Amino acid sequence: MKLLIIEDDVAAANLLKRGLEESGYAVDLAHDGEQGLKQARAGGHSLWVIDIMLPVRDGLSVLKALRDEGKGTPALILSALGKVDDRVEGLRAGGDDYMVKPYAFAELLARVEALLRRSRSSGGGPDTLLEFADLKIDLLSRTVTRAGQKIDLQPREFSLLECLMRHAGQVVTRTMLLEIVWEYFFDPQTNVVDVHISRLRQKIDKNFSPPLLHTVRGSGYVLRVEA
Amino acid sequence: MPGIWIMAALLLGVAGAAIGFWLARRRQRSLESLRSRLVAVTQSSRQTGDNIAHDLRTPLTRLHADVETTLRNEDSEAHRATLERVLTEIQGMQSIISALLTLGQAEAGGMPVKKMAVNLSLLLEEILELYGPSAEERQLRLQGRIALQIMVEADRQLLARIFSNLLDNALKYVPADGLVVLSATAKGGEVVVTVEDDGPGIPAEMRDRIFERFTRLDPSRTPSGGAGLGLSLVKAFAKLLQGDVRAEASRLGGAAFIVTLPAAAAGVPRPVP
Ligand SMILES: Nc1ncnc2c1ncn2[C@@H]1O[C@H](COP(=O)(O)OP(=O)(O)OP(=O)(O)O)[C@@H](O)[C@H]1O
Ligand SMILES: [Mg+2]
Repeated sequence: MKLLIIEDDVAAANLLKRGLEESGYAVDLAHDGEQGLKQARAGGHSLWVIDIMLPVRDGLSVLKALRDEGKGTPALILSALGKVDDRVEGLRAGGDDYMVKPYAFAELLARVEALLRRSRSSGGGPDTLLEFADLKIDLLSRTVTRAGQKIDLQPREFSLLECLMRHAGQVVTRTMLLEIVWEYFFDPQTNVVDVHISRLRQKIDKNFSPPLLHTVRGSGYVLRVEA
Repeated sequence: MPGIWIMAALLLGVAGAAIGFWLARRRQRSLESLRSRLVAVTQSSRQTGDNIAHDLRTPLTRLHADVETTLRNEDSEAHRATLERVLTEIQGMQSIISALLTLGQAEAGGMPVKKMAVNLSLLLEEILELYGPSAEERQLRLQGRIALQIMVEADRQLLARIFSNLLDNALKYVPADGLVVLSATAKGGEVVVTVEDDGPGIPAEMRDRIFERFTRLDPSRTPSGGAGLGLSLVKAFAKLLQGDVRAEASRLGGAAFIVTLPAAAAGVPRPVP
């Protein structure tokens, strides 16, 4: 799977490329808006990572142009804090997700994977039943069972679990959970999310085996069956 | 404000240099010279005084000593442990820079404020719910006394940041078994939200200064400790929303932080999106 990174900071772009390659992706680089636009038009990418502040032509106008041409490739927008720090503008220009620099690589990787997965699984009706291992959740009746046994969750715990189930097998970061479940686009410092997760873990893992909800150090959480 | 920008740029450079330097196992001099440049720049910046220099120099000094010691050691386990500490320090410095940039932007009026009708009562209940489990884990009682249907014309993210900073403080500074109360009322054209506790409180002579950058009652600094920017952000955000915040003594025995905001213009309250 090939990604395109449009980022003028050459050192940062190379680090990003190396990190993504180590995670199994092929990566093309472009260092200004015009060049990025050309490469994106040439096609073949599953995802674009676009910095807003670019020489020659800014990232938002590049993305707008691509969207106007009907190109639907998912796009992750990067913005430097204190610059055009406006996620709404970014999303309006056709971005699918938005991150403020400086970011942790683990955060970027998690978002890239979530976007790729979202674009692969789109189409088909909305799921009302999600399943992972012996865990099942019904989004209509808002019920959860594990190994056939009913589990009572608070509404917020339910939303957390839903989010983790939609990304089963992938790391979901604290920031992503705050954005998706609480719709807060800032970092509330205290380990508020971790405490909610540990409550959820008590309920879905404590009396069952194997454990499904794991902490990924320095990164976030993932639902998986560990080998 | 340019002082802050220069400093932020420098600091990012230093943080990057610290890692590069560590990996390359040389260029000890460049970190040293960046460090003295940083100290020079921050010390010459009058508006924020020595505090910033101190706050940024402390982690840099720690980084410097840590990296230097580790370089003399061949053990790769020790290298790894040092890199992890370096990363933590860098994250701490990054959050200081982010907060300073945000503050600069907010105070200069350059911050986008998306005002819309917000049901403040609901938002506060949500924040209580977000912080509830953390409070319980710290053996604090967190209570809400929130009047229904308080509407404000404001930016939801800024509001949430204001109250999450205040609750974050209460959770950090109120000792176990304490009580934290979040209350909200609307009187006339004004909405008053109070976050108060039965903790150690703020001495009367500090109640204004506490909102200045880098002011902390306990000046000792640890890698995990706060920077003293939270309340400055709260003040800047409250002002952006045409409100204000002040500190008082609480009837509960500790600190009371009182946020005032203009109530939404009278009319049919619109539902929150
Ligand atoms: N509820 C409280 N009770 C007692 N002291 C408090 C309370 N809230 C704040 N303080 C004091 O005010 C100081 C400044 O608070 P502020 O939120 O600005 O910074 P911080 O919490 O130290 O760091 P940061 O918020 O940047 O992580 C704190 O260090 C603490 O000494
Ligand atoms: Mg604080």
